[in-house]
Amino acid sequence: MHEGMPDLRVLVVEDEAKVARALREGLQREQYQVVVAPTGEEGFFLVSAEKFDLVILDLMLPGRDGLQILSALRKRGLQTPVLILTARDAIEDRVEGLDKGADDYLVKPFAFPELLARMRALVRRGRQERAARLSIDDVEMDLVAHKVRRHGIEIELTAREFDLLEYLLRHKEEVVSREMVTLEVWKERARAVPIDNVIDVHIARLRRKLDEPFERKLIHTVRGVGFVLREES
Amino acid sequence: MRLSPRNVRSRLTLWYVGVLAALLIAYGAGSLFYLFLSMREQVDHNLREDVETVAGEIASQPDGSLTLRLHHGEEGDPGFHRFVEIWSPEGSLLYRTPQLQGLALGVPPVPGKITEGRGPFSERLPNGLRVRVASSLHHLEGRTVILRLAHNERAMWRELGEFATVLIIGLPLGVLLAGFGGYALARKALAPIDAMAMQTKRISAERLSDRLSIENREDELGKLGTVFNDMLARLQAAFDQLRRFTADASHELRTPLTAIRSVGEVALQDQKSPGEYRDVIGSMLEEVDRLTKLVESLLVLSRADAGNVQLQRAEISLLAVAQDASSLVEVLAEEKRQKIDIVGDANLIVSADRLILRQAIVNLLDNAIKYSPPGSPIFVRVWPAAGNRATLEIIDVGLGISLEHQPSVFDRFYRVDKARTREWGGVGLGLSITRWAVEVHGGDITLESKEGHGSVFRASLPLSSNSASSPTERGSQ
Repeated sequence: MHEGMPDLRVLVVEDEAKVARALREGLQREQYQVVVAPTGEEGFFLVSAEKFDLVILDLMLPGRDGLQILSALRKRGLQTPVLILTARDAIEDRVEGLDKGADDYLVKPFAFPELLARMRALVRRGRQERAARLSIDDVEMDLVAHKVRRHGIEIELTAREFDLLEYLLRHKEEVVSREMVTLEVWKERARAVPIDNVIDVHIARLRRKLDEPFERKLIHTVRGVGFVLREES
Repeated sequence: MRLSPRNVRSRLTLWYVGVLAALLIAYGAGSLFYLFLSMREQVDHNLREDVETVAGEIASQPDGSLTLRLHHGEEGDPGFHRFVEIWSPEGSLLYRTPQLQGLALGVPPVPGKITEGRGPFSERLPNGLRVRVASSLHHLEGRTVILRLAHNERAMWRELGEFATVLIIGLPLGVLLAGFGGYALARKALAPIDAMAMQTKRISAERLSDRLSIENREDELGKLGTVFNDMLARLQAAFDQLRRFTADASHELRTPLTAIRSVGEVALQDQKSPGEYRDVIGSMLEEVDRLTKLVESLLVLSRADAGNVQLQRAEISLLAVAQDASSLVEVLAEEKRQKIDIVGDANLIVSADRLILRQAIVNLLDNAIKYSPPGSPIFVRVWPAAGNRATLEIIDVGLGISLEHQPSVFDRFYRVDKARTREWGGVGLGLSITRWAVEVHGGDITLESKEGHGSVFRASLPLSSNSASSPTERGSQ
C-alpha cells in the first residue's frame, strides 16, 4: 500500500487495552510486527530478552514506571530507539524523558498519523536522503529552483504554500494531521496555538492553485483526521 | 502544676501576678530597710544626746567610787531602758547599772587600745536583749573614765516587726486579689476570641457565606475579625469561581461527548456504506478534536492557576511580537478581505515569554477577525505609556460587546453569543488565557467597547529596564 518497512519489530508498552489494541491494528496495517506488553515488568523483560527496532513506551504504567524501564534499558547499552507516550503534558516530564534517553515523545491524546510519522522518522534516522525533486502524478516540485509545475504549467506559490506542499509531497499517500503541519511546517511547538483554521485556509488556497484548474484532484481532506496528498484511484 | 499553661488567659495572669509580686516584694523590702535606717538614726541621735546628759550625772564618792544620779521618772518607763557602764582606761569596771544584772556592754576596754569615741554600735546581750551602745571618754575630777551608754532597741525592732508582719500578710493577699482580678480581666478581654473561634469552627467550605460578628470595628479584635471576614470573602469568591468553572468545564466536556455518542449510536442503527461510516467516524473525530483542544486549554489554565508556568523571558520588542502574531493569522483576515494595520514604536522592549505573549495577541486578533465584518480594518497600536509601560491596542470596528457582557468577557467559558461562538469552534477560554498571559507579565488588560461600533482591547505591559525609550520613533508595517 505504501513504501512501509516490512518486518520492523515494534514493542508497544501500553497498559490501556483499547489503546494497545488500536496501536497493534494500526501498526500491523503499516507492515510492522507488533508485540504488546501490558505492564512495565513485561515490557522490561521483553526489551532485554528480544530484539526490537523500535519501542513505544507509555510513561504511566502499573508495576514499573516507563522512565525506569527507559533508564534501565539505556544502562544496559541498548540503543533501540524509544518513543515515549505520555499523558503528563508537562515540560519537565518531557525533558526528563529525553534526558533518560528517549528519542522522541508524543503527548496523549495523539493523532495516529503523527505517531506513524514520528516512527518513520525514528527508524530511518540517519539515512534520510534529501531528494532534489518531489513528484506525484503530473505534479513536480523542484526544491533547488523552488518551482512547482503541474502538467508542465508553472504554479506560483507563496513560501508558506510551498513548504506545505513540500511536506505533503514528502508524506504523499500518508494522512497528515493538523498537529503535524503545525509542528513541521509552521514550526510551532506550543500545541495551544490555535492555527487549525490558518492551516485550513492555506490548504484551501493550495487546492485552488493546484487542483481546481485540473481534472484530477490530489489534495484530499480526511474528515476528523487531516489531509492526504494522493492520486485518486 | 504545668510550667507553661495552655491558654493565653492563665499565662497572662501568671505573668501579671509574677511581675506584681516581684514589684511588691521589692517595694516592701525597700520600705522596711528605709524605715530601719531612719529609726536607727533616731536611736543614735537620742543616744548621743543622752551621753551628754548621763555624763553630767556622774558623781564621784569620797571613797573614790562613782555613782549616777538617775532620773527616777525615766527609770520606771517600760519603753525606755537606759544602761550605763563606767570603766577606767585600765579596764576595771567602775560602775554598772543594776538593771544590767552584771551583764557587760561589750568587751572591757583594753589599755593602750582605747576605741572609745567611735560611733554607736549594736550589741546583743547574752540575755537576748538588743541594745545600741555609744561610748565616750570623760574627764572627771582629774581622772579619765570611759562611759558606755546603751539604749534598748526593743521598741524599734517591735515596730519594724509589726511593719514587716503587715507586709507579709498583706502582700500575698494583695497579689492573690490582683491575680483573681487579672484572670477575670483577661477572661473578659479574651472572650471575643473564644467566640470568634467557635464561629470560625462552624464555617466550612459549604458555609463560606457565614461571617464573624464584630462588635467594635475599631478595636484590635474588631480589626482581627474584619481581616478574617475579608479573607472569608476572598475564599468564598475563589470557591464560587472554582465551582462555576467546574460546572462550566463539565458542561463544555459534555457537549462534544453527547455529539460523539449520538452520532455513533445513530450510525449503528442501520447499515451504511463504508463511505457513510467513514463520514460518521470523521464527524466523531472532529468532536474528539474539540475535546482535545478544550482539555489542552484547561491544562494551560490549570497550570497557570497553580503558578507553575516557567516563563522563558527574553528582551523583545512588543511591536515585533505583535507583527509576529499578525503574520500568523493574517490569512484569516485576508479571507475576509480585512486588513491588519500595525503601527507602533519598535523600541518598546518588554521582558516576556515570546510564545505566551504572542499567544495572547493571536487570541485577540483571532477575535477581532471573527467579530468584525468582511472588508473592515483591524488596527494594532503599540504606544509608550506613562509609568514606564507600553500599551498595546487591538481595535476592530466590528460587532462590539454590549455593556452587560463587558465585565465578564475575560471570565472562563463566558460567551457573548453562545450559539455563534460554538459554530466558530471556540471554547470560551481564549480571553481567559489572554488575560492570564498579560497578567503573568505584570500587565493588565481592559476592554472598551460600544455595541455595533467595535471593540478596543487594551493591554498595558511594564517595559523592560533596558528599554531604549526613544519617545516617538514610530515604524509602521
